[in-house]
Amino acid sequence: MDYDVGYGLDGDDTGPKIVIRETTDKSINFVLSNTTLSLANAVRRVMLAEIPTIAIDLVEIETNTSVLADEFLAHRLGLVPLSTRDVDSMVYSRDCNCDEFCDNCTVMLRLHAVNRSSNQNVKVFAKDLFAETVSGMPLRRDGPAITTGDSLPPRGEPVITDENGNGALICQLRKGQELRLRCIARKGIAKEHAKWAPTAAIGFEYDPHNKLRHTTLWSEGDDSAAEWPESRNKDWSRPPVEGEPFDYTAEPRKFFINLEGTGVMPPDQILHNGIKTLQQKLAFIVQNLRGTSDPSQPNGMDESANMGGGFSPTDGIMNGNGTAYGGNSAYAPDPGYQTPAYGGAGGVGSVYGGGLGAATPYGQPRGY
Amino acid sequence: MNAPDRYELFLLGDGEAKVTVQPETRVPNAAVFTFAKEDHTLANLLRAKLVKLPHVLFAAYQVPHPLFATFKLRVQTDGEKSPKDVVLQACGDLIQELQMLDQEFTKEWELKKIAGEGMMG
Repeated sequence: MDYDVGYGLDGDDTGPKIVIRETTDKSINFVLSNTTLSLANAVRRVMLAEIPTIAIDLVEIETNTSVLADEFLAHRLGLVPLSTRDVDSMVYSRDCNCDEFCDNCTVMLRLHAVNRSSNQNVKVFAKDLFAETVSGMPLRRDGPAITTGDSLPPRGEPVITDENGNGALICQLRKGQELRLRCIARKGIAKEHAKWAPTAAIGFEYDPHNKLRHTTLWSEGDDSAAEWPESRNKDWSRPPVEGEPFDYTAEPRKFFINLEGTGVMPPDQILHNGIKTLQQKLAFIVQNLRGTSDPSQPNGMDESANMGGGFSPTDGIMNGNGTAYGGNSAYAPDPGYQTPAYGGAGGVGSVYGGGLGAATPYGQPRGY
Repeated sequence: MNAPDRYELFLLGDGEAKVTVQPETRVPNAAVFTFAKEDHTLANLLRAKLVKLPHVLFAAYQVPHPLFATFKLRVQTDGEKSPKDVVLQACGDLIQELQMLDQEFTKEWELKKIAGEGMMG
């Protein structure tokens, strides 16, 4: 079996491999290899839908004499990308113990625009949104320095990346029209609404030669190769040999990923957060499953689980990571960061330690 | 109008258990795990890991209805380990593998950054 997460094979073969091909301030193009399709896909799906970010969730409209309806404006405002600097220390408003909103769970943004006298339309841009605290104080520019996020504005402020420095166009005002409103921005995930997505798109390809025959390349004529454009990843994968028999045991091993962010969070941070979110998900399952009894086992084997409700041997399971959705400690990007579960076992050492005898969480060496 | 709230996709209801285990009575050493508020992201990840673990004879998942955020994972083992143990092991292994991925990426990213600075300087 070619199950090569690589324990005990050769030292270089341990764990997933990444080759970064290209980076910009909003995207990373990399090749992921030596993992499984399921893992690569899980990371992709989590990055698309489950990374917490900040977006405008409620809009209190004081005056709107523009041509756009209130809910139309509210929707447009919701889609404005807001800086996620330091989101980890922000609380979901449903978990917050304040009455309505407070600085732990909310960022306020004010917008006031009037066209008093101009015959030309006044354009209202995202840059006209002023982020402030709940009490109306300006935001502080602090929080932990994020790897490349130093250029990111304070938490909740609109992210503006166009060369004019305007940001997205929200509305236009004719003479005499006015817009005055207050927006309440909150933490959320894209599963609830796509406005919370940190990613614009994730390109995901494997097996560019279709050697695994996971897809059928439809063609007008007889030769699909002549009709389909070549993938730019073709040179990164061995082409099929003429007359080679179909290898039905082969599995996809190399994934060509183009991660494109919205600018709300630096792209490397998106990947780190995606991995972290997935780990928390798994740790939460472990924590919950430990607490349940296993009815498939004869009575007695699971006594410990039935009593005391709990995961006694692994109390530290969510070490430093909070609950699955709870507040999280500030993220430290390098080795100091612990696995959500198994605080001690495995850990950093096994990862760079050449892969020999890397202990599983349960302390037994694996036999494959 | 009668669409369910979106947060029902990921927030556990009151008193709802994240995972429930049900033994499979017709087959030895088998159980069905029902995961609440999870989708294919986790289901397929666990399934793929489980089928590669030793002692696992069968692992598959099913999403009973696309409108309800839940999935069922059926696991059968050879009896040396309980289904629950192998699921726990799968989770543990995956957490570690993800940790390795994270560190590998950090390493490559830092190297890329240093290389980029070297070019400029």
